Amino acid sequence: MSQPDTNPGPEHSKTDAADSEATRSLAEWASLAIASVILVGIVGLAGYLWLGKPRTQDPPQLTVRQQGIRVQGEQFYVPFDVTNQGGLTVDSVQVIAELSVDGEVVESGEQQFQFLASDETESGAFVFSQNPSRGELVVRVASYSLP
Amino acid sequence: MDKKQKSRSAWNQELDDLIRGACGGFLFGIPLLYTMEVWWIGSGAEPQLMLLALGITFGVVFLLNRTEGFRKTQSVRWPDALFDSVEAIAIGLLSAGLMLILLQQITLSTQLKEAVGKTIYSGIPFALGATVANQYLSSPENYSRPEEPQDNLNETLSDIGVTLIGAIFIAFNIAPTEEVPMLSSSVSGPWLIAMIGASLLVSYGIVFQASFANQPRRRRQRGLFQNPLSETVISYLISLIAAGLMLGFFEQIEMGDPLAVWLPQTLILGLPASIGGAAGRLVI
Repeated sequence: MSQPDTNPGPEHSKTDAADSEATRSLAEWASLAIASVILVGIVGLAGYLWLGKPRTQDPPQLTVRQQGIRVQGEQFYVPFDVTNQGGLTVDSVQVIAELSVDGEVVESGEQQFQFLASDETESGAFVFSQNPSRGELVVRVASYSLP
Repeated sequence: MDKKQKSRSAWNQELDDLIRGACGGFLFGIPLLYTMEVWWIGSGAEPQLMLLALGITFGVVFLLNRTEGFRKTQSVRWPDALFDSVEAIAIGLLSAGLMLILLQQITLSTQLKEAVGKTIYSGIPFALGATVANQYLSSPENYSRPEEPQDNLNETLSDIGVTLIGAIFIAFNIAPTEEVPMLSSSVSGPWLIAMIGASLLVSYGIVFQASFANQPRRRRQRGLFQNPLSETVISYLISLIAAGLMLGFFEQIEMGDPLAVWLPQTLILGLPASIGGAAGRLVI
């Protein structure tokens, strides 16, 4: 470990090792330049996200968009999208659906999304055995937690 | 040595150093890359925390570089250690970022903040692995297997054995996790082909480009594994079989599962398995 070059590959000669220790070769400067660009780039992006505050501190704003009902076999599928239009990222987004007929809840469903970042959209579907268009269907976000 | 030749060998050596760093990063960073909690932590992290994490990593990498690094030459002088630290972290971020794109955890629809966070948090273990690449991928020259030339069959069998051990060593702790089916459902079509390409590329890099300690001896070795290209392909196939068996062992896939279930999962686990397999033949 302490000896710098115990197993030189066939293409490495002793002189090369000695050279590169004395001065940095052009190759080393080139890779350092590229590496610096990558590092400065990612630090710059993180700095921009921090100081530029591109809405990342706005409170979460969750909206559910329900799509058309799809009938397949005996079941009724109600696809939906949930979007976080706010800035902060939320965890455990709970979406619930309740189907009421004549003012009484006859079927309900619940879906949880692990993670919803700003402007992120997740999709899912609720499945009912009764036709939702015969009653009143409510799909809404019930809760979330902050990470 | 004339000047032109010298400068070419300097470029070769630099490339060698960088690839060695990247391979060390892959060996160390792959298990955390296949951990969804790391993606979530990265996605949810506040930008100031990301910068803090990068800063701490830089400090650790710098200290490691004072004693050991990914280069064969030691960079004990502090400017060298500083430059090497910049490169190790860049190697880590680049490798992790590319892998996250390949695994479809960063796509065009990913938010900038999430992409940056995921890259930084997954990149940190890659950077640490790159820094210690020389340390833990080197082993003493006079070590383990007998030097006398054996017959081809024995050499080939022992190569298959160590490939299997290496593949199991790295991929066994990934095989039972939920990430494998999860990733296989998001990685599809052309990305699976790219996955195969990346696995081959990284294992080729590990065995033949980075000139780890045992490589001069490996080049002397005989057997089915002698030719670089066939060695890489054969070791990849062995790693894939190992990955499939591990998935079966943990009941992630079962007999009679459709192609669309077992093939993506095997290829997804095949990446860490082939990286382990390639390294196994050098380290063990």
